[in-house]
Amino acid sequence: MSHPAASLDHIRRSVPQIREELGVAPVPVRAIRDPAIYALEKERLFKKVWLKVATAWELPNPGDYKVKEMPVADTSVLIVRGKDGRIRAFHNVCTHRGNKVVPNSDFESFGRARANVLSCRFHGWVFSTEGPLKSVPLQDHFGQIDTACLGLRPIACDEWQGFVFINFDPEPAQSLADYLGDFGALFGGYPYHESTTAFRYSTVLECNWKVALYAFSEGYHVPTIHAGSLPGFRGIEHSDFKLMGPHASSTIYGAGMDAAPSTQKFAGILHGSECHKPRPDLLPPAINPERRADFQFELPNIFPNLLIHLASGCGYPGMSYFTHQFWPLDHGRTLWEGINYFRPAENAAERAAQIHVNALHRNAWLEDTATMEDTFTGIMSGAIDDMQLMDQEFLIRHAALTLDRHLEEVD
Amino acid sequence: MTDIALPAGFQDLEPLAARWARPTENERNAIRLSAAPGDFVDFDALMAPRLEALLAHLATLPARPEDPADYNALLLAAAFAEAAPHHELYGDSAQVPFSFDARRFTPDHGTEAT
Ligand code: FES
Ligand SMILES: [Fe+2]
Repeated sequence: MSHPAASLDHIRRSVPQIREELGVAPVPVRAIRDPAIYALEKERLFKKVWLKVATAWELPNPGDYKVKEMPVADTSVLIVRGKDGRIRAFHNVCTHRGNKVVPNSDFESFGRARANVLSCRFHGWVFSTEGPLKSVPLQDHFGQIDTACLGLRPIACDEWQGFVFINFDPEPAQSLADYLGDFGALFGGYPYHESTTAFRYSTVLECNWKVALYAFSEGYHVPTIHAGSLPGFRGIEHSDFKLMGPHASSTIYGAGMDAAPSTQKFAGILHGSECHKPRPDLLPPAINPERRADFQFELPNIFPNLLIHLASGCGYPGMSYFTHQFWPLDHGRTLWEGINYFRPAENAAERAAQIHVNALHRNAWLEDTATMEDTFTGIMSGAIDDMQLMDQEFLIRHAALTLDRHLEEVD
Repeated sequence: MTDIALPAGFQDLEPLAARWARPTENERNAIRLSAAPGDFVDFDALMAPRLEALLAHLATLPARPEDPADYNALLLAAAFAEAAPHHELYGDSAQVPFSFDARRFTPDHGTEAT
């Protein structure tokens, strides 16, 4: 699905238009501070909208599965590629008496179903990777049992460009394509699936999920927070604002930084490689439409908790894109996941250079995450009732407004 | 610690490999986090002049070299990739200044052990 840039003109906004449309007033911090809001978010937001939980290339073969703990929906989710090649999602809950079908001890774990079945360890009920209940030990000892109705409990699941989304609503109000809307058109067409080399980091932050999301949603902090890891970042410009229903996006341009000697050598390896060099030509047409040479990455917020920074090798050397997700564990606890995606290294020098880029970016993330728990403590203190937001913080303003709209909706 | 074998032409760097080269990110992080400022200075002084040659050698090898000495050469480059910013950007501090506690980050790189 490729759309000419012209067809997306209606999503573009100038700064005056952003101010007009989203307002300029301070934004209340109550949605971050009030634990009652978190209860509403669980019911009216996280159990209603599409959430990215996996990528197709994490589960390349039939039988490959991922288990994801999702306290925000009070469940454990099993995402599995069936024998027919389709990826489905189920509650990781045995229909016998409720045990986890795949036991796990981490927020995320991976495995492969042998013979395309999964069996519950408690009493040995066996399920197909496509859902149906296949066998029950001592089945004739049940006075009543309808095995046809006892398959794994499905969760709505669909893919966009290889990103796997689920929706906990038994009857989602919108299809995934409709939910993503213009975002799908803006970001569609990039070969995301070719960048299968992933460096993932996660941590549990003692803060509300929106504090973490908002900290990663603006470029205002770059010259200050990243003075260590991105020294002398020149000519940073955060512009090309776009609004797309619940989603929003913008572009970070910048003339680069004072690269250290080792950075220049490692970066040279990736910049000199056909496979990893900057590829502005691969960007979807409405992103950096003028093909400016100082393009760094496109920074969108896919409501409610996903950022996909699309760089196509133009920002951090060799990096195709990176994603952030923010999973509430409780009102004041958040699982953050950051993932850097590269095309696979073709030789050991490229591998070392990717490790270098990854380390620099991880270090920048260590600078970002340093603010989050302090910010949450500050907001919880009650000393401030509002956030003051400048133009480059419009993704925050937009997300806060979108959240309010979701929470106001009365069933 | 005994030296870790490196390919011909790089054997003078074997003591550095013994000190820094490890197969996983967690092991390299642990070494880096316990390093003193002088360790970063020394690593950079010995390694920076040889980085280009080392990368040129690695460019002739598959992403995961079979030969143990070649694999060690990759691990040395990886360790330097992660240590160099501490000398060049962070004033020879083992921590990223003004940062979150690095030990709270959990790396998970798919099939690559961490
Ligand atoms: S709870 Fe799963 S087989 Fe009994
Ligand atoms: Fe940042």
